[in-house]
Amino acid sequence: MSDHKPQAESTAPELHGILAEYDTPDQLVAASKKVRDAGFEKWDTYSPFPVHGIDAAMGIKMTVLPWITLCAGLTGLGTAILMQWWMNAYDYPWLISGKPTWSIPANVPIMFELTVLFSAITTLVGMLMLNGLPHPSHPLDLVKRFGRVTDDKFFLMIQAADAKFDEKDTRELIDATHPVAVENVLEDRVTPDTMPAGLVYGLIVVTCAALLPVALAVKARHSKSDKPRIHIIQDMDAQPKYKAQRENPIFADGRADREALPGTVPVGHLNDDDHFFQGRANGAWARTFPAQVELSEETMARGKARFGIYCTPCHGQAGLGDGMVHKRADALAQGGWIQPTNMTQEYVRNQPVGELFNTITNGIRNMPSYGSQIPPEDRWAIIMYVRALQKSQAGSVGDVPESERGSLK
Amino acid sequence: MATEKGKQDAGKQPKKSAEKAGGSGSAGGGSNGGGKGGGGNVGPDYPDDNIRLGAAGQSLFTKAAGIGAVGLAAAVALGSMQGDGFRRFSLSYVTAFMWVLALGLGALFWVILQNLVNSHWSIVLRRVGEIIAAQAPLLAVLALPIVVPIFMGNSTIYEWSNHAAVEASHLLHKKAAYLNSGFFLVRFVVYFGFWTFISRYYLNSSLAQDSSKEPKSIMGKMRAVAGPAMIAWALTMTFCAIDLLMSLDPLWFSTIFGVYYLASCVQGNNAFIALVAMWLQKRGVLKKSVTTEHFHDLGKMVFAFTIFWAYVAFSQFMLIWYANIPEETGWYKLRFVGGWGGGWGLLSAVLLFGHFVIPFFGLLSRHIKRRRPTLAFWAIWQLVMIYLDMYWLVMPTLGKDVTAPPFGLIDLACMVGVMGVFIAGIAMRAKNLNLMPTNDPRLPKSLAFENI
Repeated sequence: MSDHKPQAESTAPELHGILAEYDTPDQLVAASKKVRDAGFEKWDTYSPFPVHGIDAAMGIKMTVLPWITLCAGLTGLGTAILMQWWMNAYDYPWLISGKPTWSIPANVPIMFELTVLFSAITTLVGMLMLNGLPHPSHPLDLVKRFGRVTDDKFFLMIQAADAKFDEKDTRELIDATHPVAVENVLEDRVTPDTMPAGLVYGLIVVTCAALLPVALAVKARHSKSDKPRIHIIQDMDAQPKYKAQRENPIFADGRADREALPGTVPVGHLNDDDHFFQGRANGAWARTFPAQVELSEETMARGKARFGIYCTPCHGQAGLGDGMVHKRADALAQGGWIQPTNMTQEYVRNQPVGELFNTITNGIRNMPSYGSQIPPEDRWAIIMYVRALQKSQAGSVGDVPESERGSLK
Repeated sequence: MATEKGKQDAGKQPKKSAEKAGGSGSAGGGSNGGGKGGGGNVGPDYPDDNIRLGAAGQSLFTKAAGIGAVGLAAAVALGSMQGDGFRRFSLSYVTAFMWVLALGLGALFWVILQNLVNSHWSIVLRRVGEIIAAQAPLLAVLALPIVVPIFMGNSTIYEWSNHAAVEASHLLHKKAAYLNSGFFLVRFVVYFGFWTFISRYYLNSSLAQDSSKEPKSIMGKMRAVAGPAMIAWALTMTFCAIDLLMSLDPLWFSTIFGVYYLASCVQGNNAFIALVAMWLQKRGVLKKSVTTEHFHDLGKMVFAFTIFWAYVAFSQFMLIWYANIPEETGWYKLRFVGGWGGGWGLLSAVLLFGHFVIPFFGLLSRHIKRRRPTLAFWAIWQLVMIYLDMYWLVMPTLGKDVTAPPFGLIDLACMVGVMGVFIAGIAMRAKNLNLMPTNDPRLPKSLAFENI
């Protein structure tokens, strides 16, 4: 409409169309019906807000946009399914939370989002394109009274390009719709048809800049470098200190870890009580509990709790060697698994407490050392509880108090 | 449209200024006086359309009440034959009751919503919604077969109401602070008391508006009440769904459960109102006032809540599926027994496809929503699906041994019985009332409403 080339200045601008102004949307709708019935094709109405019923009044057919949106939505859905299948199940299968690498529920949110995203963007872009937008300039832009179309006035314009247009008859038709004002709209001779040079160059620069990160990424993917990766966020990742098991050239032995000097003991580490710390007395396994361990309900409860935490996974709640780890290993039936010891067996019952202490402290056969995890007093408490467990499996009627014996029968 | 609006403006302009000067005190007096006038049942005449049901309402009442009574009697008889202390009957009854309650609560939500957003399009249908919503006291009576056993502490389906069961279960004991008969009774009274109060408020205000000289001030008050009412509605609906549906499995919990039930309320209501309006139009009522445009809007809501239901149902499912914690997954495990091909799993699949996928494409086109027969088809379809959804929520309470939906005559009898009584209640209220708020200032806009 506005792409007529500027003509010689001497000729007056051509007529673009006739513009009518109305005060209310109802007047606009009524006028539209008349123009529609007169058979015009190149005309349009303009209002500050969508006017209900204007489509029918103008004889506008239903748009194809919903179908385009439907196709876009289905494309989005398909894209989401394919993309996730390719990423999660095909190209780089990665086990997360024990779920199958391809399972629909985890992928539904993305399916939903891409369906909506594709539909929404297509609807917006499709609406703009079907409406011929953006429309950088229009002859109506130069009509001063038309400015109020964004405020409180309603307009209708019939273009001179319409086959049925006749300056006199059309004018009469418009007058018959009782407009507030009528005005001839002339072709735009003021606005240049070309895009402003600044805008063109600006767009070129912005487009090139937008391609730069992509170009850098492509270059990086196809070249090799000896330099370490760019570490943008440091987060105290590199610190001037030595970590365990590293080299340190300062010392003669080249180790970063230093040992205690010979003949010294760290504060609180003088474990000189062999009975309490090693379970040994008079050169043999101690047969009694050390003096520091009190034979009490409290110690027994402590021992039961520690036993529950450290021992039951393998040895089971009753120390029968049937803990959950064993059950699982047994169920897998992969061989090589040795059942944990049943602590209520006779040979364990007969072991001195000191020997049991040593077993916990240093481990035995498959059992690892627990010395570093369980403090010595807790180890003794556990042994006290184990002794109770053993007794529970090998007791006799004589162990039960007289008063309780009746309940056994 | 232009002439109608002109008339409207000419008629209302002086009142508008008088009302502004008068303030709320005089408006209150006006509404009360009008309320008495409207309470005499038949409202003012409306020359442009037939808005009274008359004999057709009486006949509907008789039929629906008869069918309802027969249905309930049959259900009780079938229930007593089960010999399980009415356990099967109770579950069937809860299913039917929650289905009908969704329609009643949905209508109340809809009425409050239209006032809250100052909706214009829906005015021609508002009275229908108000009458349906006003069945809250009837629904409270219908709830008694569920509530009384809970209060007596011998409910066969709500484990938590049974004192001995609670004492025996550590977890139930821990939940007893909320799940106990006494507190439940308090909540029940609060829920139904509020729904009765607010639905009567809206129906009475609306009736008062019909013959009021200051319809605009009544409209303003109804709008002002809508905000707090909506909040209270959301809370009562949520907790009622938790109490009556979720607590059937007292150890299971889902924080989105209230919203899940809301989806059924809103969708059920829009489908139901569309069907009621079609039924009325067949009897020559509201024939000119309710147009294709209004049906289109109701259809859009049914469509929207088809998606909303799926969204909420999946949100609930996915979090539980992903976390995979036994205390949560057990509820779904019961409902997936039999996989896709049979048992409860098949019902789950029917809900996925029948409640979402198929109606999604079925209701997508505007032509379907604008044609009454097709809209009626999908409205009935979704009402059936909402019933199946309630069935899916309730009936697996029977336990692990029942591996497939035990559909039977007793379910049909409960469904027909409760729905029959509900419709009879609506017919009784509707037969003597104007079925359109003729004096609402927004009516002309609603009459002339166009979607595009």
